[in-house]
Amino acid sequence: MGKTILIVDDSSSMRQVVKITLKQAGYEVLEACDGKDALEKLSGQRVHLVISDVNMPNMDGITFVRELKKNPAYRFVPVIMLTTEGSDEKKKAGQDAGAKAWVVKPFQPQQLLGAVTKLLM
Amino acid sequence: MSIESNALAQALGTFMEEATEFLGQMEEILLRAEDEACSEDDLNALFRCAHTIKGSGGLFGLDEVVRFTHVVENVLDQLRKGHLSFDSELISLLLECQDHISGLISVFANGGEPETTRSDELIVRLQVWLGGEAVPAASASASAAAGKSEPGAAEHWHLSLRFDRKILQDGMDPLAFINYLSQYGELAHVETIVDALPEFDDADPELCYLGFEVALRSSASKEEIEGVFDFIEEGSNIVILPPQSKIAEFVTLIESQQAEVARIGEILVACGSITAKELEHALEQQKRQAEPERIGDILIEQGAVLPPVVAAAAEKQKRVEDKRGAESKMVKVPAERLDAMIDRVGELVIASVGTHSRISGLQRPDILESADVLISLVEDIRDMALRLRMVAIGEVFSRFPRVVRDVSKELGKDIELRIHGADAELDKSMVEKIADPLMHLVRNSMDHGIEPAEVRRARGKPARGTLELNAYHESGAISIEVKDDGGGLNRERILKKAIESGLASADDNLSDEDVYRLILAPGFSTAEKVTNLSGRGVGMDVVRANIEALRGTLDIESVPLQGTTMRLCLPLTLAIIDGFHVGVGDSHFVIPLDMVVECIELPADVGDRDYFDQRNEALPFIRLREIFGERGNGHPRPRVVVVRFGARRAGLVVDRIYGKCQTVIKPLGPLFSEVPAVSGSTIIGSGEVGMILDVPSLVRHCAAAAGKRPARKAALSASEAVESIAS
Repeated sequence: MGKTILIVDDSSSMRQVVKITLKQAGYEVLEACDGKDALEKLSGQRVHLVISDVNMPNMDGITFVRELKKNPAYRFVPVIMLTTEGSDEKKKAGQDAGAKAWVVKPFQPQQLLGAVTKLLM
Repeated sequence: MSIESNALAQALGTFMEEATEFLGQMEEILLRAEDEACSEDDLNALFRCAHTIKGSGGLFGLDEVVRFTHVVENVLDQLRKGHLSFDSELISLLLECQDHISGLISVFANGGEPETTRSDELIVRLQVWLGGEAVPAASASASAAAGKSEPGAAEHWHLSLRFDRKILQDGMDPLAFINYLSQYGELAHVETIVDALPEFDDADPELCYLGFEVALRSSASKEEIEGVFDFIEEGSNIVILPPQSKIAEFVTLIESQQAEVARIGEILVACGSITAKELEHALEQQKRQAEPERIGDILIEQGAVLPPVVAAAAEKQKRVEDKRGAESKMVKVPAERLDAMIDRVGELVIASVGTHSRISGLQRPDILESADVLISLVEDIRDMALRLRMVAIGEVFSRFPRVVRDVSKELGKDIELRIHGADAELDKSMVEKIADPLMHLVRNSMDHGIEPAEVRRARGKPARGTLELNAYHESGAISIEVKDDGGGLNRERILKKAIESGLASADDNLSDEDVYRLILAPGFSTAEKVTNLSGRGVGMDVVRANIEALRGTLDIESVPLQGTTMRLCLPLTLAIIDGFHVGVGDSHFVIPLDMVVECIELPADVGDRDYFDQRNEALPFIRLREIFGERGNGHPRPRVVVVRFGARRAGLVVDRIYGKCQTVIKPLGPLFSEVPAVSGSTIIGSGEVGMILDVPSLVRHCAAAAGKRPARKAALSASEAVESIAS
């Protein structure tokens, strides 16, 4: 049984590419289209890693991570933020919220996989 | 599932197309690189091709393609950075690699599993080129392959890891990072440091008390290893020490650094001994210090770098600063400003000549004297202005070591290049223009001059051929020699060939020099075998034409079995010439003074002929009046200015001779660029426009006309002149 990763992004094509990449590397993938959706989908399910976009409708990534970390079940789950180049502010906000890893968009699937491997190997 | 696999299949199709395109481009550039030096754009394109194939390949899980292409990419990166240079062996290897990548991709496309032996074999060969350079491994299997060839156990990186206690609370697992390190090489040893562990009762299970000392055997760079710990926050202390062998490598890299970096930190980052992050930390610490330590000392304290590497950097810094000191005495000026100034100085020279000629008519010695002072100052300024634009010919010579190396490899000859007089100076505009002719002469000497090694040995010469490039100043001009110690020119063969192609006749009694000059004639080639170098449609005649366009000459000296010397003689500048001012009808003409031999009167008995006897030699002449269709008043007893160009002489019949003058050449507008026999215009002292005669084309015309005796009368039309120049 592979480890499970939750991908939160409002772009379905982005989720698609990430999903294909991660599945090929042997991970199980859960999808959510925004922060709110993600919290609902999780509801007690075990995940080993969360990958989240920052800018999303309904609930943005930073609020989502803050909420996530409040839940004792997910406190120690590492989070990778997908940030845009140059948005150091957002990166800092994400780190403060508890997302210590990040990958700058646009990225190669391989880069994301590298970051995932670093955290889950 | 099916949608997913459909989308993937579609994307894979796009990838295949892309890859085929990139591979085709790689092949094209590589093949081109066999013939000519690769441009920077080409090298970047090559790298990009491999890089993109690797990048997209990873997306589709073509691991073998990624693993293999990664090493190819490293080699291309070294090429791109100039650490490696192309030769035929490397080009062949890269072409094999390109084929292999193409093969791997099609195996994947057909759903097969590629076998790795061929990749491994090529990787081993590629790594020879990478030498001691870091080869970051793309995957564990690649690093395992690299690991095999690595020396003893002492050769490993030492990592000292003290994670932030709160790391676990961030969802980070120290073990994951250590495991991840194994992607870059082999974990030779991991020791867990438990010193910080508190008593059981005091321990907080959410904190990380463990430290790790890791020995990593890897060929990755420091930057890459540091990258593993990207996500670890400030609170952690990560020290990465290079293997012993790396220290020597860093020192060598520092010494060979080209960049003009004068900061120790930057030098250390550039050679890879510290990372930008480490430097940043050290700089921050330095800022905090009341009495700042030297940055090198801080870095040593932090364990980022070892003292010998810092010492090498300090030494380098000193050298760069010394050089800077020398450089600060130079001023950089845009070329167009210099050009504009030289143009004005030219006008000044003309104006002063005009003033002088007017003043000499006045009977005022005091004014004349002050004018003389002024004129001599103007001449000084002219000389200085011209010197401003002088550059060392070494600028051109510097590209030849590479050319000679590549071409000799291509020809399978062993040729040594010797350069003398690289500091001889000439005008910047000349430097740009002689590069091509010189390149051709060098290639020609290597191709046709220097014999293959076996022939040389048979002739009792060293197997290694020598090619010399010499430059020196000689009476206001610069001479550049391309000298080989080859077989010399073959008089008989040249003559035979020349007779065959109608360039000479069997009963011409030609001197050696005349025979050698035949190789400069259009349509002449004795090469029995068309090699890669010759047969490009550029002959020695084009070289000659290029040199003549610069008002230069090309002489050939050759001694059978001992070698050939091609001597280029060029004026130092194209901007100002000493001229000889003559008049025809109402027009003024200027003949470059160095081509004028003497002035005589036209014998009264020439009649309709276009030659006359001068000291028992036939001197062909042309009447400028006819050539330029002058109608103004002639002179009852026209003069002949005898001009010489190369070995040829000819007479130019003019009406009046004004004498020596100094003149600034103004190029003709595009409208007149096709006009034969005129190479430029100028303003002469009296303020009138004078045409500068293109002596080589006039002389050739004379010679051609003389060859077609009996006399040809009729004015030379422009189109005929062009023909005769081209023939």
